[in-house]
Amino acid sequence: MTGAEPLGVIRLGQVSYRQAHALQRALVDRRIEGAIQRDLLLLLEHEPTVTLGRGTRAGSLPLPPEELEAQGLTVVEVERGGDVTWHGPGQLVGYPILDLHHHREDLHWYLRQVEQALIMGLARMEIPAERNPGYTGVWTEGRKIASIGIHVRQWVTSHGFALNVVNDLAGFDLIVPCGISGVEMTSVAGERRRQGQNGPPDGDAGDLYEATVAATIAGVGEVFGRCPEPATLAELLPAGTLPDPGTFPGRGPR
Amino acid sequence: MATKVLMEALSPTMEEGRLVEWKKAEGAAVKVGEILAEVETDKAVMDLQARAEGVLLKQAITPGTTVPVGQLVGVIGSAGEDIAGLLGASAAGSAGVPAPPPASAQARTAAVATTPGATAAAAAATPAPGPAPTPTAGGRVKASPLARRMAADRGVDLAGVQGSGPEGRIVVRDLSTGARVTPGLRAEGEAFIEVPLSQIRKTIAKRLTQSIGPVPTFYLTTEIDMERVAEAREALNQSAQRGGAGEEAAKVSFNDIVLKATAMALRQHARCNAWWQDDRIRYWNEVHLSVAVAIEDGLITPVVRHADQKTLREIAVEVRSLATRARERRLTPDQYTGGTFSVSNLGMFEIDQFTAVINPPEAGILAVGSVQAKPVAVEGRVEVRRRMRVTMSCDHRVIDGATGAGFLRTLKGMLENPLAML
Repeated sequence: MTGAEPLGVIRLGQVSYRQAHALQRALVDRRIEGAIQRDLLLLLEHEPTVTLGRGTRAGSLPLPPEELEAQGLTVVEVERGGDVTWHGPGQLVGYPILDLHHHREDLHWYLRQVEQALIMGLARMEIPAERNPGYTGVWTEGRKIASIGIHVRQWVTSHGFALNVVNDLAGFDLIVPCGISGVEMTSVAGERRRQGQNGPPDGDAGDLYEATVAATIAGVGEVFGRCPEPATLAELLPAGTLPDPGTFPGRGPR
Repeated sequence: MATKVLMEALSPTMEEGRLVEWKKAEGAAVKVGEILAEVETDKAVMDLQARAEGVLLKQAITPGTTVPVGQLVGVIGSAGEDIAGLLGASAAGSAGVPAPPPASAQARTAAVATTPGATAAAAAATPAPGPAPTPTAGGRVKASPLARRMAADRGVDLAGVQGSGPEGRIVVRDLSTGARVTPGLRAEGEAFIEVPLSQIRKTIAKRLTQSIGPVPTFYLTTEIDMERVAEAREALNQSAQRGGAGEEAAKVSFNDIVLKATAMALRQHARCNAWWQDDRIRYWNEVHLSVAVAIEDGLITPVVRHADQKTLREIAVEVRSLATRARERRLTPDQYTGGTFSVSNLGMFEIDQFTAVINPPEAGILAVGSVQAKPVAVEGRVEVRRRMRVTMSCDHRVIDGATGAGFLRTLKGMLENPLAML
């Protein structure tokens, strides 16, 4: 990777969906203005949230939003592509902020590259993953392990992927249409249990999560030809616009 | 000078895009680079930017509409500028502009749902270079390509038709009065309607395909009492013989009666009279029966078109003729393509019951066994009656168990009470 351009990796811990959204917008604006020169990858977790993408159809959300909110979920309508999805603790959410002018101005290519990055990351975790043509996302043996939905403004990307790592998959039951278990969701922990590698004991969920984070960063760097390096918001956003650290109550890297 | 806003290719592999939301209202001032609208392709949303400065004079499509790359979606110009020419030229030349009527949920009529394959298939089914529409005082009559073709087929002069599409464009539904997509999937005056796959249909399709193969098939079998059909057939054939001329040709077989009943039952069960089209299902309003015919080194399925509208005698004559041509290898492509449902009969080989393989893109095929005399319980007593077993193979992506069963129940009812059918 010597000579490769950098990929600034920012670990945010647990962040509310709305905060992460505002942060992405600020970073995308700065990238478009030219104030930020390198590609970025935000890695974080959300509180339990259901997001409705631009492709959301009637029927994808069997319960009205008010009822979901009554169950403690946040429901947000967002400008990414795709249908409804669920986010929550233990899921690795990645928002690559790349300028596709420097890669390829091709949305379909970008979607396939994000899939490829996750597939390569999962390979490092010894989980064989693949695409499912026509169904954007990453799958393993017919089960869906990662969801993808992106937004692009002036060829600068935002939103990205959500990879299930050690999260409870029950959250997805709230958005499966009509009680038909249409898509079986899985996670890194679930697949490892299935492989007979007895899942990590309770104390080790954090280790599995960290290993997945490292593998995913490597996959993204490899697929997009960038050299990952740690980055902080302080160096990317002007002092006045930096969100109050108090608004990021996350645990930080787990 | 007004500038067209076109659906842009956000990827070389992108063929169409869905306009998600307009970010500028009609009449709003726009600058170069400002965001006009959001466009979705696959799971990606991208902003559509203004490439000219001025006023957004026209939003040519409504949010939620999917249009091919390169199609006009709006116009930027100076306030008050006349853009009728720009819009008119585009509407007449484009494939399918109008948004689906909101009332009919996701059902789109043939006039608005145009995929290249679908158009080609429709064209193959109705090859009709008809008279050109009469030009009006204002120039060419605006009409969708399908509306033009159908009008030509029917000898309708488009100049006298009131268009209901954008800018008064004539679409298929304008060609017959009262044509509306009903919940029963019947749209009078149209060959078929296409319905994009709902989330649940997509999920069913994907799961079942993973389980059983590219066409996830299931089978439904029922036994039908053929006593009354047998009696009706004898009577029909005797009267034909008394009539004299061409008795052989005019003889009606059990299979002809099954074909007629199948076609009529399909009219009542449009959900079984359908094509799987990968991202949508085409429900046919016309019934074209593919009839499996064994030939020397294989089999072929000539098609009895509009079988539901033909008399038993017409079906009998046509099947005889098609089968002969098939064995002589003289069928033309239009005689063996375009079927909407298949029937395969091995009764003459004394097969009691069998399962037939679906003939894609059709969603169902009926396998017909032999008519056999056997003891059955009738009102508590054992009687010897002629019975026939039929098995329907269903593409589960299109037809669910209850849907197929409903069709078979109607078919059984028709055959057990053939006078109602004849």
